[in-house]
Amino acid sequence: MAAHRIYIVGAGVMGTGIAETVALTGTEVILLDRSDDLAQKGCQRIAENMDREIERWGLTKSDKKAVMSRIKTGSDLNILKEAEMVIEAIPDRLDLKKELFAEFDGICPPETILVTNTSTLSISEIASATNRPQKVIGMHFLNPVPKIQLVEIVRGLKTSEATFNYIKEFAGSINKTPIQVYEYPGYVTTRIIVPMLNEAMHVLMEGISTAEDIDTAMKLGFGFNVGPLALADMMGLDEVMAWMENLLAELSEHKYNPCPLLRKMVRAGHLGVKTGEGFFKYDAEGNRIKSDVTTGDKA
Amino acid sequence: MKVLVLNCGSSSLKYQLFDTEKQFAMAKGLVDRIGMSGSVLTHKPFDRPQAVVAGEVLDHIQAIDFVIGMLLSPNHGVISDKAEINAVGHRVVHGGERFTDSVLITADLMGELRDLISLAPLHNPHNIRGITAATKSLPNVPQVAVFDTAFHHLMPPHAYIYGIPYLLYKKYSIRRYGFHGTSHQYVARKAAETLGTPIEKLKIITCHLGNGASMTAVDGGVSVDTSMGFTPLEGLLMGTRTGDCDPAIILHIMAQEEIGLHEANTLLNKHSGLYGISGLSSDMREITKAAGEGNVNAKLALDIYCYRVKKYIGSYMAAMGGLDALVFTAGVGENSVDVRRLSCMGLDCFGITVDDEKNKGHKPGIGIISPDGAKVKVMVIPTNEELVIAQETERIIQSAKAGV
Repeated sequence: MAAHRIYIVGAGVMGTGIAETVALTGTEVILLDRSDDLAQKGCQRIAENMDREIERWGLTKSDKKAVMSRIKTGSDLNILKEAEMVIEAIPDRLDLKKELFAEFDGICPPETILVTNTSTLSISEIASATNRPQKVIGMHFLNPVPKIQLVEIVRGLKTSEATFNYIKEFAGSINKTPIQVYEYPGYVTTRIIVPMLNEAMHVLMEGISTAEDIDTAMKLGFGFNVGPLALADMMGLDEVMAWMENLLAELSEHKYNPCPLLRKMVRAGHLGVKTGEGFFKYDAEGNRIKSDVTTGDKA
Repeated sequence: MKVLVLNCGSSSLKYQLFDTEKQFAMAKGLVDRIGMSGSVLTHKPFDRPQAVVAGEVLDHIQAIDFVIGMLLSPNHGVISDKAEINAVGHRVVHGGERFTDSVLITADLMGELRDLISLAPLHNPHNIRGITAATKSLPNVPQVAVFDTAFHHLMPPHAYIYGIPYLLYKKYSIRRYGFHGTSHQYVARKAAETLGTPIEKLKIITCHLGNGASMTAVDGGVSVDTSMGFTPLEGLLMGTRTGDCDPAIILHIMAQEEIGLHEANTLLNKHSGLYGISGLSSDMREITKAAGEGNVNAKLALDIYCYRVKKYIGSYMAAMGGLDALVFTAGVGENSVDVRRLSCMGLDCFGITVDDEKNKGHKPGIGIISPDGAKVKVMVIPTNEELVIAQETERIIQSAKAGV
């Protein structure tokens, strides 16, 4: 049986998304960040996100009330000494994560399972900062967490079968469909999608088609809900570039070279939805401004 | 026989301990917030004041242990030994086509119950969790499952088959099942008893108007049609559910609002009905109050609600070829003078009349609100699903014993 209280460290986009998802299934969440204020802001983000879902008929006001009542916030990691399971969701930086996991290791009882939410980093390396590598495992949630059914469960070299089974059951209990992934750069999702986005940028850069038409082609031709360029805008172009560079560094293959157009847009600060401009333009709420298509500034 | 009746939800457990000889509840209560902090048990023995106890209740097993502890407690208890509990009766929402009667629970049967989860994903898993928990807490006590759908199993195919390809009925068991069966059955029998006529000779329409609402045509004691369908969404307008609705509407909305299955499901089940139309509340008491104060949308919601009940009265009269008694039950049916009045308004030509004085003057309990000598008896009968579950449990256990 899965833990009845889940501890999440990191109240950013991913941490709050995981918190909302867990709380929606009736489980309590303790959401921690570096300061009470940051954790509280995370809670506010969840409330705003749920308001948007209520407007889109997906949730009700009583769902929101129930979820908010199940989430407590804080900043003192010592509370983790009571945890059966901790999910870390801080920015995807190896040094920060290793430091934090060493700290978890000192606070949590030896049986506590430590989960890292990462899209590219090595679980084995994060686990090496602890004395319990068999109890360290990765869960790669995709953004927006409450809406995406998939979670990649990533096994490090020393992750035990028991830990994997525990997390697999936990994934099911929060209504996610897990796939099992052995540690390797980019896992399954990032490894396949990011080069595809990069390729779409090459097609645009080479003047073969417009951004709008490239997205239409992939949506109507292959049943994607979102076209690759709109998807890159949603993910953040800086993020996409970081993933490409990470794949390139790990696997040393030419095909993972970030497209020059991507590099240029990142340098110009056109990072997608979050800056209001990427391959398309967006208003302050993040809604696409139709008809005003930038062609991505031809190279 | 002393029967513990359990109704398990996702994070709650309602219970009653019934003495079936004396036909009364020795104690009743509710465990709320199971698996969360601040779980609360509210317990009411029949002869003493209500007790409220807070504690940590992590799952349904602990909840049932908590309940048994209360039943045995020197201050609030009603029994002195766990062994006094002779049987456990469980409310199970969906019995599918497999379960047409209450059943004694065995290990083999649990598998079959699990197979039905796809038909009632919101309810059956919790009911099953309750059964598993009770088996652990009371290992040697026989347990019986009583299904919400069972009373409707004699409906004729022309009432339960939908106008979709027959292949889909065969493939996915898509058909009308109907719900609130124990309630419809109970009030129909009570009506016959009150009128002093054998139920076999009566044509009765039962209106279970609660948070969920459904109507049933009971001909000769048998449910021949009912307004809820494959799921509890069809039929009457409800607190937050649409009831009858052109299925093409939802496809259109999904395209217009660019929403998916989950959102569409929530829209129909949680954002609609009295709440969706009035924008105010899903509670009929608040709707009637606001309508009385001139709130136009509340008035509209009330009118739609009652008009829908009226249409079903007409269609079930036609289905049965007549009517002897019309029964109102459950929260709204037992308490809303306005709903009873408006639903029957203008039906005098069918022999259905509500006497305003009797309707307004109705006191809790069984009552007849049609004028003396009226062709159709309009009745208010409080439902008691727990009693039916207790009686069913006793019946199944005794017939199992007789079989041995």
